[in-house]
This record gives sequence, C-alpha cells and structure tokens, in this order.
Amino acid sequence: MSKKMKYAVAGFFALLILAFPLLVDNPYIIHTFFMVFLFATMGLGWNLIGGYGAQLSLGHAAFFAVGAYTAVLFVVYKSITPFLGGVVGIVFAVILAIIIGLPSFRLRGPYFTLSTIAAAEIVRTLLLHFQDFTGGANGIPIPFKGENPLFLQFYSKAPYYYLALIMLIAVFLLLRFLEKSKIGRYLAAIREDQDAAESLGIKTHKVKMIALIISAAITAACGVLYAFTVGFIDPDSIAGLSLSIEIAVVVIVGGIGTLWGPIVGAGVVILLTELTNMYLGAMRSGASLMLYGLLLIIVILFKPQGLSALFRKKS
Amino acid sequence: MGRNGLTEFVPSRQEGGKGVDLNIFLQTSINGLMIGGVYALVAVGLTLIYGVMRIVNFAQGEFVMLGMYASWMLATFLKIGPYPGLFLVGLFMLGIGWLIFKTLINRVVGKPDEVAILLTLGLSTFLQNAILMIFGADYLTVQTTIKDAAFNMAGLSVPYARVIAFLVALLFVGLLSYLLAKTDLGRAMRASAESRDIAILLGINPKFIFTVAFGIGICMAGVAGVLLTPMFYVYPGIGTLFNTTAFVVVVLGGMGSVPGAFLGGLIIGILESLTGTYVSLDLAPIGTFMIFLIVLFLRPSGLFGRSVN
Repeated sequence: MSKKMKYAVAGFFALLILAFPLLVDNPYIIHTFFMVFLFATMGLGWNLIGGYGAQLSLGHAAFFAVGAYTAVLFVVYKSITPFLGGVVGIVFAVILAIIIGLPSFRLRGPYFTLSTIAAAEIVRTLLLHFQDFTGGANGIPIPFKGENPLFLQFYSKAPYYYLALIMLIAVFLLLRFLEKSKIGRYLAAIREDQDAAESLGIKTHKVKMIALIISAAITAACGVLYAFTVGFIDPDSIAGLSLSIEIAVVVIVGGIGTLWGPIVGAGVVILLTELTNMYLGAMRSGASLMLYGLLLIIVILFKPQGLSALFRKKS
Repeated sequence: MGRNGLTEFVPSRQEGGKGVDLNIFLQTSINGLMIGGVYALVAVGLTLIYGVMRIVNFAQGEFVMLGMYASWMLATFLKIGPYPGLFLVGLFMLGIGWLIFKTLINRVVGKPDEVAILLTLGLSTFLQNAILMIFGADYLTVQTTIKDAAFNMAGLSVPYARVIAFLVALLFVGLLSYLLAKTDLGRAMRASAESRDIAILLGINPKFIFTVAFGIGICMAGVAGVLLTPMFYVYPGIGTLFNTTAFVVVVLGGMGSVPGAFLGGLIIGILESLTGTYVSLDLAPIGTFMIFLIVLFLRPSGLFGRSVN
C-alpha cells in the first residue's frame, strides 16, 4: 500500500469512528464499542507495567473498583461531582498501588503477581463487608436525576462513547510519549535484564513504582467512567479476579508490550465476547469466559507476541 | 451460608463481655487446624510443582474443584461415597495431571515465570467455565452418613468429616515427604529441582520426573477436593478460593518448601478460623491476605524457606 492510500484508509476509519453514533442508533451496539474503547484504555494502562515492565498484575480490578466506588459514593452521599470524586478515587488507587508495590517490587519471581491478587481480594472483601455503606453484594445504583454533564448523566449512550474515545486517544498519546521517554527505556531495560539494568544504575523499583502508579491512575479513571455509564456497580463484577484477568487477556491477545496491542486486543476480545454472549449466552453461561481461557492458552503457546504482530508483518 | 460455601455449622461469635471463652477459642482453633490440613495438602502439591520445575500453577484450585466434581459424580451416579472413592479420584487426577503436563505445561518449562502464570491462568479460566457449562452454576452437595456426626471430647466437638480430612491429608503429606527423602524417585526429583543439566548428567530423565511431580501435585489437589466434598458446596467457582489460599500458604512457608507449605497450611487454617469467629465470618479471607502482605514485607523467603533471589 502506498503512503497516500494508507492515509486515506486511516482517515476513512477515523471519520467512521467519529460518526458512528450518528449512523447507528442501537444503544447496545454503541455500548459495545464503548466497552472496546474502555478496555483498550485499561489495556494501555495495564501494558505500561504488565507489558513494558514485564510485571504481571492480576489485581487491576482493585484500582478500577477503588476509582468507581469513590466517585459513586461521593455522588450518592454528598452529591459531589464525579469529576472531583473521581480525582479522589484516582488518588486512593495510587495509594493502593504504592502499598502493593512497596513490598513486592524488591522481589523477583511471582511475588508481585501474588500481591496484586491479594490486594484486590482485600478490596473486594471490604466492599462486600461494609454493606451499610457500599451496598455490599447487592451493589450500589447511581440515582438518575436527569441529564447533567457535570454528573456524567445523559439519556443517550453517545456521550459516553465519545468520552471513552477521548480518554482512549489521550491515554494512547500519553503511552506513545512514555514509550519514548526515559521511563519507557528504563522499563525496556528492566524487561530485558533486571540485573544489567541495575548495574547501569537504574533504580529498578522506583521505575516500576512510577509505571504502576500511572497504570493504576488510568485504570481508576476508567472505573469512574464505567460506573457512570452503566449506572450501577457491585463488588463481584468490578473488583473480582475475572475483571483483572480480562484486562490482562486483552493485552496479551493483542500483543504484550506494544502500543497497538491493547487496541487490537480490545477489539478482538470484546467483540468476540459480545458475539458469543449473543449466540451462546442464552443457552449456557460461561461460554464467553471459557473462550477467554482458550484464547489465552492458544496465544501463549503459539503466538506469544500477540495478534497485532500479524498486522505488523503485512504492512 | 458463609461466602466460602461452608455447609456445616460454624461456631457463632462469642456473646457478651465475659472475656475470651476458652472453649470457643479451642473449638475454633481445632476446626481451623483440621481444615488447615486440607489447605496444606493443596499447597504441598503446589509447592512441589514449583520446587521441581519452577512452574507457578494458577490452576491448582481448579484441580481441587475437579476432584470435588469427580467425587460428586461417583457419589451421585455410582453410589460410591467420597472416602471409598478417594483412590479412584486420586488415580483419575494423576491421569489428568499427566495429560495436562504432556499437552500444555511441558511446552513452557524453563521459560520465564509469567509464561507459566498466564498459561495456567488460561487453563484455570477454561476449566472453571467448562465445568460451569457442563454442570451449571448450582450448588451441589454430597451426602455422607457421617456428615453431621461429630467426635466429642472434653466438651469439644469436631465433625468426623474434618477429622478424616485432616488425617488423610497428613497421610498424603507424610507419604510425599517419605518419597522425596528416601526413594530414588524422590532423589531424582530433588536433583532435577537443583539443576536440570546435572540431573541429565546423572542419567535422570527430567521430562519423566517433571511429569511425575506434576501428576502428584495435581493428584494432591484432587484428593483435597474429595476430602472437602462432605464439608463444602460443590460449584464451579470454588477453586478460586483454594487458589488464593494455597498461594498464601506457599509463600508463607517459603516457595518450594514442602514442610513449609505443610506448616503454613495449618497456620492459615487456624488463623482463618479465628478471624471468622472473633472478627467476622465474611472477613476471614482478609486475615489471610494481610498475613501474606506482611510476610512479603518482613520475610519474603517465607517463615521456613531458604532465601529467594
């Protein structure tokens, strides 16, 4: 393909994505694409520590839930805008990230992964336990008080679609910047050989901590947007291990440690999940998650560099 | 029903302000110790696999779950109770372990930890949801005659199911320790764990040793599942609980250490039981995870392990 053709194709797709909610007015389809953008954004965030830094996190649901619950509880109890509550939520998520990173980044091996799981389970158990405050297992609905952008409440799904798209583009640009920055190069060095990186004077646990903090902040912001789009949150679906796994699977299927991987992965995985839910979900639950597992096994064994590698070879 | 899906009676929180009631404390500790034996069995299997071939098996809990379903099927379709069926399920799980090793695990031995973690995570998600599709999400129970019977002594009452689970777990851990310490197979396992290359030089076939070790590790999880069926509901998601608990136990005991995993299991069992009784039943997992983070912070090599890195 010539360069001109490429730009033309890219331009066409960009226009299509922008005009999509105007062309399609099925809220279910718009919401599906919202989920693709959301998972792509979370995947980009996860990839910073999980891919570039090769520190496998299986607790990102905790950051997501901390962001979502903080913003929602601020609205429900104090009627404070999620733009403020969300910032507080992000700060809490960052504090959690530091608590996880402090003990585990000193160690090699699976300790970091295990601490992320432990921390997420603590968050989920606490959310379930303090039910008078959080609604417990029943979850907590956000009362709809009419269209109000300041409270992220809209009648149509389209505004959420655009908000997620804006967030995705912003995070993508941030990651593109970070990839080329000092942090990105240090992370690459740590991934290749941690001992060599240390002997070059790189403070490896500081670099990993910075990556985890940025990653946690992005994930918490996604949690806030998700909560207000769906209008309801509960601990098992947003603080459970399965969400953490989904985020990781999206990136691994797409291509771990690459800029486009999370976006390709979110497209493939989320659309595939929705399709299986549509055709098989009515018959049997578990079909789509079984597919997740299978996809993960196949990619790890046969295509560890992810699906986005297929595109790279062609162009 | 607690979130753990425990079907039997759990001593209620202590009433009034007369200080610590010794009887309730002892009762809680013994109940925890008994269940801790089963945690130890799951964790010993996990630590054996890690110790011998450096595979972090995130599907260990799912093999507990498979053992539970196998036991349930034997009881439901063939009227073979959990205890008589123990060896059948054990053999079946040994076969499953062999199959999984040959098809999947074999390909990632010697690769970085993350590869094995992701592979077994995929396997865990797959198994859990395959079972969900086949059996549905219902909570199943296995009826045994001794289900509600309890062993009474000095004012304490311990359900037989727990006593048997503890003793059988003890027996299996003992057999494994004997195997590792005294037999050629065990020595070969320890040699392969130390260095694959030297093991080959000594004429050991590490592939075979890894297959056996993985099979034994999975078998222990399956047997733990059988021992748990009289006490726990059987449902597709139950493995997650044992997965996380087993990892906490293994880290507590020092990764790769069999006696460490055994003692760690007992400690976590008692601790969880005490948190459940004296703090709140649904907060019981928090005590476990807090201990995990504290151990990582203060003594990452575990309470009984050799130092890491």
